[in-house]
Amino acid sequence: MTELLQVTDITAGYGDGPAILDGAHLTVEPGKVHCIIGPNGAGKSTLLKSICGMLTIRKGDVVFKGKRLNGMRPDQILREGVCFVPQERALFPKMTVRENLRMGGFILDDQRELERRIGEILERFPILRERADQHAGTMSGGQQQTLAMARTLIIKPAIVMLDEPSLGLAPKVIQEMFDIMKMMSAEGVTVLLVEQNALMGLKNSDWGVVLDLGRTLFEGPAADVLADPRIQELYLGGKKAA
Amino acid sequence: MTVTLQQSSASSVLKARRAHNEKLARKADQTRATWFPLALLAILVALPLLQFVGNYNYVLHLVLFTASYVAMASGWNILGGFAGYVSLGHSVFFGVGGYFAGMLLARYGISTIITAPLAGLVAAVLGYLIGLITLKVRGPSFIISSIALLMIARILFDNWEFVGGANGLTLPTNDLPVQWAKLPYYYAMIAIAAFTVWATYRIKHSKFGLGLRAISKDEIKAESAGIDTRFYKVMAFAFSAFFVGMTGAVWGEYLTYLRPNIFLLILVSANLVLMSILGGKGTIAGPVVGAILIVALNEFFVATMGASEINILGTGLVMAVGLIFFPLGLIGTLAKKGKLPRVLNWD
Amino acid sequence: MADILQILILGLALGGVIALMGSGLSLVFGVMRIVNLAHPSLIIAGAYIAYWAFKVLGIDPIVMLPVSAAILAAVGVLLYRLMFEKETKSAKYSEMTVLLTFALAMMAEGVLGGLFTNTQRVTSPDYATDAFFIGDVFIPKGQLYAGVLSLAIIAALTLFLKYSRLGYAIRATTQNREAAELLGVNVNFISILAFAIGIGLAGAAGSLVSFVFSFFPAKHWEWIAMLMSVVVLGGMGSILGTVVAALLLSVVAAFVGTWIGATWSTMTFFLALFLILLIRPQGLFGEKPEMA
Repeated sequence: MTELLQVTDITAGYGDGPAILDGAHLTVEPGKVHCIIGPNGAGKSTLLKSICGMLTIRKGDVVFKGKRLNGMRPDQILREGVCFVPQERALFPKMTVRENLRMGGFILDDQRELERRIGEILERFPILRERADQHAGTMSGGQQQTLAMARTLIIKPAIVMLDEPSLGLAPKVIQEMFDIMKMMSAEGVTVLLVEQNALMGLKNSDWGVVLDLGRTLFEGPAADVLADPRIQELYLGGKKAA
Repeated sequence: MTVTLQQSSASSVLKARRAHNEKLARKADQTRATWFPLALLAILVALPLLQFVGNYNYVLHLVLFTASYVAMASGWNILGGFAGYVSLGHSVFFGVGGYFAGMLLARYGISTIITAPLAGLVAAVLGYLIGLITLKVRGPSFIISSIALLMIARILFDNWEFVGGANGLTLPTNDLPVQWAKLPYYYAMIAIAAFTVWATYRIKHSKFGLGLRAISKDEIKAESAGIDTRFYKVMAFAFSAFFVGMTGAVWGEYLTYLRPNIFLLILVSANLVLMSILGGKGTIAGPVVGAILIVALNEFFVATMGASEINILGTGLVMAVGLIFFPLGLIGTLAKKGKLPRVLNWD
Repeated sequence: MADILQILILGLALGGVIALMGSGLSLVFGVMRIVNLAHPSLIIAGAYIAYWAFKVLGIDPIVMLPVSAAILAAVGVLLYRLMFEKETKSAKYSEMTVLLTFALAMMAEGVLGGLFTNTQRVTSPDYATDAFFIGDVFIPKGQLYAGVLSLAIIAALTLFLKYSRLGYAIRATTQNREAAELLGVNVNFISILAFAIGIGLAGAAGSLVSFVFSFFPAKHWEWIAMLMSVVVLGGMGSILGTVVAALLLSVVAAFVGTWIGATWSTMTFFLALFLILLIRPQGLFGEKPEMA
């Protein structure tokens, strides 16, 4: 068994509403960047929210390192090492960068270790070190996204799930975000991201997943997904774009 | 039968479909039973005949009292129920109507029954002006502003010597024999209540009412749909103040005195909110049913326990329980379940 | 000149107490978005605890402060679980909770009125009627003690929120509930805790209020508009804002009371509320108005 996270045939939705996910599956292998693409409303965000415990899974299984995650609370899943950054980046706008990082390690009990890790993160991300005492809400979009990603590293997670990290960012900044993701995966942190900009997402990933109508249509190496003519036509904006 | 249904899933689908069809049929049958409110009104109009066989002043008082709350709660419903702006300061208009007509009575001897529409108009103008200010904010902020309004009015009236200050004013009583003394106010109040209920029905089914309901659902969308939300809201405030003001006018003369601690009481406002919510905010019959229930409950508390503290406690308790378990109110909950009796479907 | 200084001192001392009365309201709004109209009636409940402890057992109201704070904090936990926990999923949450707290205020008034009647009460330890003199200026001891203690409690609260782990969790939940939950904060527990602290602050304020103002069960209607104007002016949810606004309005009210007439000094708060809602609904320190 090489997979880190195995999602099999899950059904999920909001409240009593209709099922957004209807038989989605997903295999996540350690140390790689995985990119989920698909049109609006395909259930991409819903899939990430179901894995991290924010949504109740109605049917199917989420297995992480051989352990079932369904039915666990978000904080329990976090303690297992599965971290989620939602679309709005989930920062605390009126807290400083340092305080935001401290919140990132809220589940750690050893405060001295927490401070040490915050120091490490600030070392690695000079942009954050410069702004350590600035309120998160006053930073630029790219800086906020950097902080959101860096914050996940505090608890040394196994998987970091990112919901559209490129949203609202300039192309040059987006490339920086992907570079950070690649760096994370090189260090052994598996990345699972949802991307609206399918081409850009797949080009920067190892593994591609196509999701539509709440179901997984295709799973495979990112290069294969990019090369598939059917996927090109339906999800990548036609052959010319590819 | 050529088709055999063996699978349980298919038969359960059919069952659900049949139940759904029945529900639709029941809904379609919810035509208005206009005769019911009219019959009710006829009974109330004939009720004073009882005075020929004995002294039923207490019964008349209870009906009059209920009718005053029916009118005020229905009036409140225009702003609070249709437009979704909950006001806890509506007793201000009760007071303004009462004082305006009461002063005319004290100075010029004109009965409030005649001046009530004028008093309503004064309350409406005041409501319009206040609405221009407070309707800029929504939700909790609006509720708080309405409480502040009441506090301000209370201080003003307590210190306004021209209208008697905190001690208030005594109004002249009519010279009818005791047996018939209540009747003018009784009929006036029944008329005001009936008019208000009819008016809220007309408002709800007008373009104006549709706009108000759109505002209550989503103000931004309503505005982008081309509704002049500001004007609609302010007008709703004015209409709603009008009916409360009229009621206050007649109530003052019936009571034979005006006093800030009778009219400008937050408990009066609270009762309007409570009646509308318990009966069903935004429905026509809701405030009526709510008023009857709450007046009955009040009488019960006062008769059995006799203390106003118990009354306050009871009002709060009923309000909390109603909010938690029946946020849609009696009429709203029944209607949602499709179990509303035809006679109570006034919408 | 001495007159002005005198009025200023009296205004500031009362402002301190009003700040404490408002801080719990502000905290509860900040974390749970509940506009707690029952807050002043719970302050009055706290005041009665201090009053009877002094009258029957001779315990100083300042000594009673932690006791009434603890009792009301426990009441807060109970109320939250009974009335508000289920409402977190309601679509009209903030409107719903305002009405619920309004109902709660009436219930509290009814219970207190039934138990203690509507007689005006005031706790009267020796210092309540004593004063320090500095030249021509006098400082009533009771108001001074209450004002200083209030500001000390608020300072402690601020330090707790700023530096403790639970304080972090409370602030995080205030700013972004979903994000806090994602980072492992048990937001429901934090809500209960913050609510309990907020109501506990009402208890603490109650014992100080008991010898500063005279009170009776129905008094809370007057206070709610006063406290709301302080909290709204300060920017709902901002405790620092609440303190600044309380001191400011209280000083203005003291001047109005001396120069125009005592009746109009409470009016200052109500009119201020109207003006703020009109001109700057987000208050002095708030970011954007919380609406709908």
